[in-house]
Amino acid sequence: MNHFEVFGLPRKLGIDTVELQRKFYELSRRWHPDFHQAAPPAEQARALEASARLNAAYRTLRDPVARVEYLVRLEEGRAPAAATGKPKAPPDLLEEMFEIQEALAEAKAGGLDEAGRRRLAAERERLRGRFRDEEARLVGPLAAAWDAGDAAERPRTLEACRQALATRAYLRTVIDDLTEALGESQEGHVTHRRH
Amino acid sequence: MAYSDKVVDHYNNPRNVGSFTKDTPGVGTGLVGAPECGDVMKLQIKVNLDTGVIEDAKFKTFGCGSAIASSSLATEWLKGRTIDEAAKIKNTDIVSELKLPPVKIHCSVLAEDAIKAALTDYKDKYASRLAGAGAAAASS
Repeated sequence: MNHFEVFGLPRKLGIDTVELQRKFYELSRRWHPDFHQAAPPAEQARALEASARLNAAYRTLRDPVARVEYLVRLEEGRAPAAATGKPKAPPDLLEEMFEIQEALAEAKAGGLDEAGRRRLAAERERLRGRFRDEEARLVGPLAAAWDAGDAAERPRTLEACRQALATRAYLRTVIDDLTEALGESQEGHVTHRRH
Repeated sequence: MAYSDKVVDHYNNPRNVGSFTKDTPGVGTGLVGAPECGDVMKLQIKVNLDTGVIEDAKFKTFGCGSAIASSSLATEWLKGRTIDEAAKIKNTDIVSELKLPPVKIHCSVLAEDAIKAALTDYKDKYASRLAGAGAAAASS
């Protein structure tokens, strides 16, 4: 059962989150393990499983960006854990990311003076704007295009979603790297790579 | 996670870091990336246009230790090979040489992609040079 099916929803990206929450509470009550304590072990296990599935589905679907990511994986027929596909980022973006990383490495090697820090901070602001734009594009026009599109248009929309997700991922990394270089990464902040 | 000695060695002493100017004759450039981890890898080959042998290779990678080691190793292997031999380098060769754990296999895949991209870029440029020379010869 996929996340959409858990809520009895079609595989669409436009979801009324208020209604989703209402349904989540309703189903939560139905499957909550506390209400199945007196039931036979097999039924208790089933309730527990349904409850876990419901939580996972809600966590994903209530977040519009996670929703697109999930849909893309679903359409590719892949398990969420196996991120083996290769979404292609636009070549221009790769060039740009490379140049920013190069400038960042140089700035770090030369020691950051006040002007350098200001430059990096401004660069980060610009990239944060791009990051927000990319998310807005995903949850706005692209999601709408998916929902309105017919079977013939969907592969193209899906590819556009993958590109936007890839772009967003690159931007997130470089923003994190800039934050780290500026010495502003917070204690306990979990970086998503460089392990 | 523990890196193998070879990864650590390449990470601490990366070979052939740097770049060629893109339009130097015989230079092919591959720029690839992995959005999941944000890594960006640039790998360049400099081919002798008469012999088709890769005379020099350079790389610059922004990413984790395994990605740096994979591309560093790739440049070592590329030097002295013909472009046909270079096309035979597989990511699995890199995995076994560097003893990469399963979670780092994608770094070797990235290095193989970078080699392929550099070779393609070289062939594209070289083919157009040949076509250009042929056309010039034909019209004279």
